[in-house]
Amino acid sequence: MTTIGYEELVPGYEFPSTSYELSASLISKYLKAVDSSGAEFVPPLAIAAYAMTAMAGSLSLPPGSIHASQELEFFKLVPIGTTVSCQAKVARKLTRGQMRMLVLELNVFDQNKEKVQTGKATVILPA
Amino acid sequence: MSAEIHQGKVFPPLVRHITQEKINLYAEASGDFNPIHIDESFAAQTPLGGTIAHGMLILAYISQMMTQAFGKSWLCGGRLSMRFKAPARPGDTLTVSGRIDSLEDKNGVSYANCSLECHNQSAEAIVTGQAVVKLLGGES
Repeated sequence: MTTIGYEELVPGYEFPSTSYELSASLISKYLKAVDSSGAEFVPPLAIAAYAMTAMAGSLSLPPGSIHASQELEFFKLVPIGTTVSCQAKVARKLTRGQMRMLVLELNVFDQNKEKVQTGKATVILPA
Repeated sequence: MSAEIHQGKVFPPLVRHITQEKINLYAEASGDFNPIHIDESFAAQTPLGGTIAHGMLILAYISQMMTQAFGKSWLCGGRLSMRFKAPARPGDTLTVSGRIDSLEDKNGVSYANCSLECHNQSAEAIVTGQAVVKLLGGES
């Protein structure tokens, strides 16, 4: 997969859309990792985590980049086994002195193209 | 609206102990292999001085508490805005807490406005923020 680096990103840049299945095995692995028990529906933070990872697959950030803030909004119950698609774009790109920040917007839809979740992540890149 | 949902309600806290093994497990599950989380020699050379837990892992704990408090209302009507204040490190014991600050009605729909926090064993704030939950009729 082709990746894009921080220097090439501009506000409004849209990452290639990705889709993935929230399979029972994937969610089982996730639940174990977050110390949670069985769930009737996909935990919304699992959807957010996989959306971020899917986007990160086409984004080349320097090692040591960290999460500064996160906004999320959930719109519908997501049954296990649902295939979702994720669209992400650069909302803002900030440089203050040596500090570099990216604000990324994510939208997740189910197979009926109904919005499942939106999010906004602020990431700080190492100097 | 459920009688259990009222202004001032304090949610049962959620306590989680962070270990490098748990961080590694989350990296495997989420696919986030940023070395700041899993490579101890790399992380030691950064200003953070060591590995830290994924921010999304901490948010997962917060979401668990909210799911316990609000059920489906949270899963399909929750809104979360959180700021990471300090890193959670292996060896930390985290406590996630929160309360309902206010309830309000907008166009016949009820919302719960909540404040949330996750702090470590030294009472240092790790994550703070707010949530708004659109309350489903007849269930919490």
